Amino acid sequence: MAAGRGSVGAKQQPPMKKKKRPTQQRGFYILLAAVAVAGGIGLYSAVSRPKAPAVRDIDVTAAQAEGYLMGDSTAPVQVLEFADFECPACGQFAVLTEPDIRHRLIESGQVSYRFFDFPLPGHHNTMPASMAAACASDQGKFWPMHDALFFNQPEWSTQATSTPERKFLEYAREIGLNIDAYKKCMDDQPHQVRIIANRKEGERRGVQQTPSFVIGRKLVAGAIGYDEFRALVDSAKAALPPVAPAPAPVTKKP
Amino acid sequence: MRPRQAITVLALAGIFVALYLTLYKIGVIGELSCSVGECETVNTSRWAVFLGQPVAAWGLGAYATLFVISLVGMSERFEDSRGVAIVIAALSGWGVLFSGWLTYLELFVIHAVCVWCVTSAAIITLIFLAALLDLRSAGGEPAAE
Repeated sequence: MAAGRGSVGAKQQPPMKKKKRPTQQRGFYILLAAVAVAGGIGLYSAVSRPKAPAVRDIDVTAAQAEGYLMGDSTAPVQVLEFADFECPACGQFAVLTEPDIRHRLIESGQVSYRFFDFPLPGHHNTMPASMAAACASDQGKFWPMHDALFFNQPEWSTQATSTPERKFLEYAREIGLNIDAYKKCMDDQPHQVRIIANRKEGERRGVQQTPSFVIGRKLVAGAIGYDEFRALVDSAKAALPPVAPAPAPVTKKP
Repeated sequence: MRPRQAITVLALAGIFVALYLTLYKIGVIGELSCSVGECETVNTSRWAVFLGQPVAAWGLGAYATLFVISLVGMSERFEDSRGVAIVIAALSGWGVLFSGWLTYLELFVIHAVCVWCVTSAAIITLIFLAALLDLRSAGGEPAAE
């Protein structure tokens, strides 16, 4: 029973509430403040960290005869993209940034661009999407299917449906594929090995997230914007060995 | 340290973890710091959304609620309240079940583990254990000083 410890005389005091020890209270507030400060600092640094992608040097040279090529394969700068058709950041890059890259860098002959599948295990519809793109590639229409997949990503992603093949068939019709050949390709799945090999190529190059790009000798992770992409292309161009000047024409003395 | 104090500290830690994952999910944070496991795979999977909202946002709501209840529950008026102890135990118990289901999905369905999700599961489990201690002592005889 909790009696009033300081009671005087016969008058009974009401039972005292248990008192918290001051040291216990102080320890609690110190711990609470420590968690608040540590969490606040961690969160602030995460939010204030620029979304700029991590750029690091790698030992391999870009461009081998793999992936899906766009542009002139002999262009001075070779760019490889490793992407997952279902990854939102890849979709964002394809919709917002890639049109500028195609128009300004690829069509102008400065860059050759290769797309490599990098299907992530958590995305259940990405393998069928890679297969649809590979089957479209058989008919020379990889890039139209690539665009259809990325521009319509929300309607066939894992969150939207468990049967994305129906949507892919619609896209196949829209881009003018031979539907019988496309269906046979999707049933036989002859490109599975190629898709996995594309991912393995990314792993070999140290790709850890999608999208990632190899631009010249740099591996860049993240859905970068056009200006940053352009700057990396320019720096890759600047690192190229200088072209030997053409020999001066020999002029005969009269 | 008393159970309710421990719950308050743990809930605050949970708020930061859930807030971090929520900010990633809504695009404020560009890249998750994930030294162990595959955080991106887990947080971009179809199971990272529950009833139309990011799972992390539900976690944030739950931790914030636990934080407020436990903080109010330490005031003189409620410090012996068995009702507060029951609410905390029920909410954290539900959180443990939900986290258990998410951990099952990570291990056996997604086949990828997110270290932040595991941290959150550990925090809610510790909160639940503290809530059981709190439930045992609340509303009874005052604990010996």
